[in-house]
Amino acid sequence: MIQGLVLTHGAIGAEMVKVVELIMGPVEGLRADSNQGRSARDTASAVATWLADHAPDGGVIFIDDYGGSCASAACLGAEGAENLAVISGVNLAMLLTFVSWREDLDKDELVQRIVDKARQAVTVVGAPR
Amino acid sequence: MNPVLARIDDRFIHGQVTVGWGQKLQPDLILLANDEIAADPWQARVYASTVPPSVAVAVLGVSDAAAALRNENADLAHHERVILLTGNPGDMHALLAQGVALERINVGGMHFASGKQEFLPSVYVDRDDLAVFRTMLRHGVRLSAQAVPGGREVQMDDGALAAMEARL
Repeated sequence: MIQGLVLTHGAIGAEMVKVVELIMGPVEGLRADSNQGRSARDTASAVATWLADHAPDGGVIFIDDYGGSCASAACLGAEGAENLAVISGVNLAMLLTFVSWREDLDKDELVQRIVDKARQAVTVVGAPR
Repeated sequence: MNPVLARIDDRFIHGQVTVGWGQKLQPDLILLANDEIAADPWQARVYASTVPPSVAVAVLGVSDAAAALRNENADLAHHERVILLTGNPGDMHALLAQGVALERINVGGMHFASGKQEFLPSVYVDRDDLAVFRTMLRHGVRLSAQAVPGGREVQMDDGALAAMEARL
């Protein structure tokens, strides 16, 4: 099963994982972590530890902000890792798609589906299509 | 080349810099001064990739950054609004020691590490840091801690450093 890490500012990631479990039930292989109180180096080390301990065969890292410290820490912590994707702009649709499809698609297909579904979820509600 | 912000931040380029200070100061260059990152193309590329496309970015070792800030780098000398970043007080002090003129230094982020004590929630220091800060003050630099524009600015003058040292 493809492993996931939600790496965000503050408690955003932890709360999002909780909500995923409210919707989907208990979820394995999806963890949350934060840059709270950490330097870029320490956050990158946490990513490297997650990879070693939970995702040695690769996985998907979800971050909240493309230009933020979580983005750089994810890339630096995952340097050299194979079969890994870092996706920015995490939203609930993204995580629900990840949990729903990760056992049916290979990693590249899964990543594309995640990005497509997440983009579809960003819309003006009620606007004409 | 004119630094509009000289900041010590161990997260280097991130949202507080690019969005918080960037929107207020409208830099035309972010200059990251760090020997390790400048020597590692992957790290340099990762940090550079997080800068908005409208802002130039340069990742240089500390001595090369000092030269650029002394307008000795023809490729960078035309930049007029520079955000200068180092990851620790020692590198910022090295720039001062190499002739870079800075009136103010912003301490943005020095996160927890073993042996350091909290000065502010995002600023942890040890005796070595305090010694470097004192040296900076002797250069005539005004030191303060402030995460983002509009946030609380805490002066780091001799009195504040002495109070901090008493807690170590």
